[in-house]
Amino acid sequence: MTQLNAANTPAAGAHPDTPAAAQVTVTGLTVDGPAGVVVKPFDFSIAPGETLALIGESGSGKTLSAKAIAGLLPAGFTARGTIELASATIELPATDAVWRATRGRRISLLLQDPFTSLSPVHRCGTQIAMTIQAASATRLSKAECTELVTQRLAEVNLPAEVARAYPHELSGGMRQRVAIAAALATDPELLIADEPTTALDASNQGEILDLLRGLQEKRGMAALLISHDLGMVRGRAEHVLVMRHGEIVERGVTSSVLNAPSHPYTRALIEADPSLTDRSAGVVRAASGAGAGGDAATGVGDLVVATDVTKSFGDKTVLHGVSVTVGRGETVGIVGESGSGKTTIARCIAGLEHESSGVIAFHGVALAPGRASRTPKQMQIVFQDPYSSLNPMISVGRSLKLALRVAGRPASDLNGLLQLVELPLEFARKRPAELSGGQRQRVAIARALAVQPELLICDESVSALDVSVQKQILDLLAKLRVELGLSILFISHDLAVVRQLADRVYVLRHGDVVESGLCHDVLTAPTHPYTQALVAASIHEAPTH
Amino acid sequence: MSSTEAIVLAKTPRSRRRHPVAVWVSIALLGLVTFLAIFGNLIAPDATAQSILDSLLPPGSPGHLLGTDELGRDVLALTIAGASSALVGPVCVALGSMLLGILLGTVSGYLRGPIDFIIGRWTDLLFSLPLLLAAIVVAGVFGAGYWMTVLLLILLFSPSDIRIVRAGVMEQAARPFVEAAQMLSLSKTRIMFTQVLPNVSSLIITNSMLNVAFALVAFSSLSFLGVGVAPGTADWGRQLTDGRAIMIDNPAAVLIPALLIIGVASAANLVGDWLGQILTRTGRS
Repeated sequence: MTQLNAANTPAAGAHPDTPAAAQVTVTGLTVDGPAGVVVKPFDFSIAPGETLALIGESGSGKTLSAKAIAGLLPAGFTARGTIELASATIELPATDAVWRATRGRRISLLLQDPFTSLSPVHRCGTQIAMTIQAASATRLSKAECTELVTQRLAEVNLPAEVARAYPHELSGGMRQRVAIAAALATDPELLIADEPTTALDASNQGEILDLLRGLQEKRGMAALLISHDLGMVRGRAEHVLVMRHGEIVERGVTSSVLNAPSHPYTRALIEADPSLTDRSAGVVRAASGAGAGGDAATGVGDLVVATDVTKSFGDKTVLHGVSVTVGRGETVGIVGESGSGKTTIARCIAGLEHESSGVIAFHGVALAPGRASRTPKQMQIVFQDPYSSLNPMISVGRSLKLALRVAGRPASDLNGLLQLVELPLEFARKRPAELSGGQRQRVAIARALAVQPELLICDESVSALDVSVQKQILDLLAKLRVELGLSILFISHDLAVVRQLADRVYVLRHGDVVESGLCHDVLTAPTHPYTQALVAASIHEAPTH
Repeated sequence: MSSTEAIVLAKTPRSRRRHPVAVWVSIALLGLVTFLAIFGNLIAPDATAQSILDSLLPPGSPGHLLGTDELGRDVLALTIAGASSALVGPVCVALGSMLLGILLGTVSGYLRGPIDFIIGRWTDLLFSLPLLLAAIVVAGVFGAGYWMTVLLLILLFSPSDIRIVRAGVMEQAARPFVEAAQMLSLSKTRIMFTQVLPNVSSLIITNSMLNVAFALVAFSSLSFLGVGVAPGTADWGRQLTDGRAIMIDNPAAVLIPALLIIGVASAANLVGDWLGQILTRTGRS
């Protein structure tokens, strides 16, 4: 602890390519919360230039472990253990003075959300310069600072102009690059990356992770990668730790853990991950029967036909004539990145948005724009965020009974409805705040199904959920589709998820359909370069080039 | 990460610790004043009875715990009798302006468009009316009176209620659960009042309790200036005017009603704040 002021602190920007050749060792790391031990003692060490992945679902304690190592535990939590770095040894719990000398210099933290981790009122260059300045032994001149900032930006493949931009002027991927540049500005020995790509689009995720990997190898920096996504880790981490309920349940070399998991929980995680399991013909798809897809293919009874739909918000056009067809009993996927217009077309079909031009027909009858021309029985939506799509002041039972009443069904159907989405009957009395994300999404699905709609629109319905919960909800949708003969319009940015469920797929980009066809064909042999990029990005183990 | 934080929040007992003692004292005070407002007549039957022989007795005089005023009225009895005018008026004002706020604020915030514009200009107009001037003009035209003051204050308090409810409704109306209700083709009126409004309730309750406090102070000021209640009525604000001249002979005649006005106004504030927190917690997601 006392040798923290040793002269080993590298000046900012000094020799990024001379690795500090010592490994990072953490022993007996424990986190105590207000109600007892939250993370049970565990050890690990990371060699220079190597990455250790810490995997677990939300609530497993992985983020708390990361925060403990960075000295950023929330109030009420304390850490125990020892962190040995090349330049210092830190005994936890450490004082604020120790953390100030360590955090940002020897240990850097890269946060999940590039939208909030950068200060909105400072230019990107200023924010990087601030970290450089703070870690520098001598006061740097303005020109030196600008020079270093440009150098750092170049490292993360950003042009020098970005230094003058405010965070809101950049895309999510660019912001995360700026955050990386800031985190690495001081040549830390250990980089902790807490879910660094969760908030990004599929095509950006791979790039950011590969960029991190490259920088890390070049500098000989150790990295701790926190993720809930096992697939993400393949080929990007040497070792992996799997954490559950604050305990390490499995550890080992990444490839052996992924190929031959010994703990049942790891196995469940791998099975739940669509990118790691059989991706050409999921069990789910096989069960849905070729009949449904076949009907649509022969053109018998199209349920919804949207033709040349355009939509502008002010002078911004988000849909340039999109045509989408959903056959009876068919599941159609719409994929695209955020901003591609996929949600807007779904909302136009649902009548929540008024299309600027184009025709949306249901059973061959054109519907006027807006909700007034549509009935609840025609279509229902399951929204992305289960935390805001249920009324927080109204109990689950009341919400569902309201929907049943709208459809003219007796309130006694409530129990059957809860059984349908595999929820216990006593949930009727609960309020949304008492439910987990997955349980809320089941309630949202039950509410949508209460009116027995012909079309179910799922707008990113599983993207806010953990992988294992995601799989449960996808299985539930697949089951309901078969049992109820539902037609589903499935909107997602996640190809792996669409692949599991959809018969046909449309690929949207900047408000245009760039490719469409049978799901299997489009996703195994994409013809449009954009689709090819998306597909490449979604297969985590193959880095994009 | 967000779920970890949610757990952290849930485990921190901060919200439970927040001034519970002050809240219980406030509730006790409000309870006492309410009790006096209802049963004051039985405890102090003739509060306004004058007796020249007993005029200007200091506090602690036999038979007059808080002494008497210039006209020989017992200050304690007068104060007890004043509870009813101190409570009934402000509560009526708060309820009245809450009703106007709920009705116009919800319609304005949910429907937007021309109706929002009209209601918005109406609130602008009301906001620009100065309380005192309006009170004096109304007293001059219709005659001063307690219930006239209640009506006037309802009108003058309503624009802030309308604005607050409107803002809350606009925030809630953008939530997906409102769109889920639209998907069930519920009528706009039904969505407004059964889906959106319950989520604004904490805002409305807190604001109405604040209004009780403000209205009490407004009533007292108007009485003090002589445009509120008629002279000779038992009223705390009135007591301040009448007691001003005899502050040296019987300080209790001014201090006791003044302290009660401050105490009840603060208590209403604290309880309102506390109720708002409880309601917010019920609906927190």
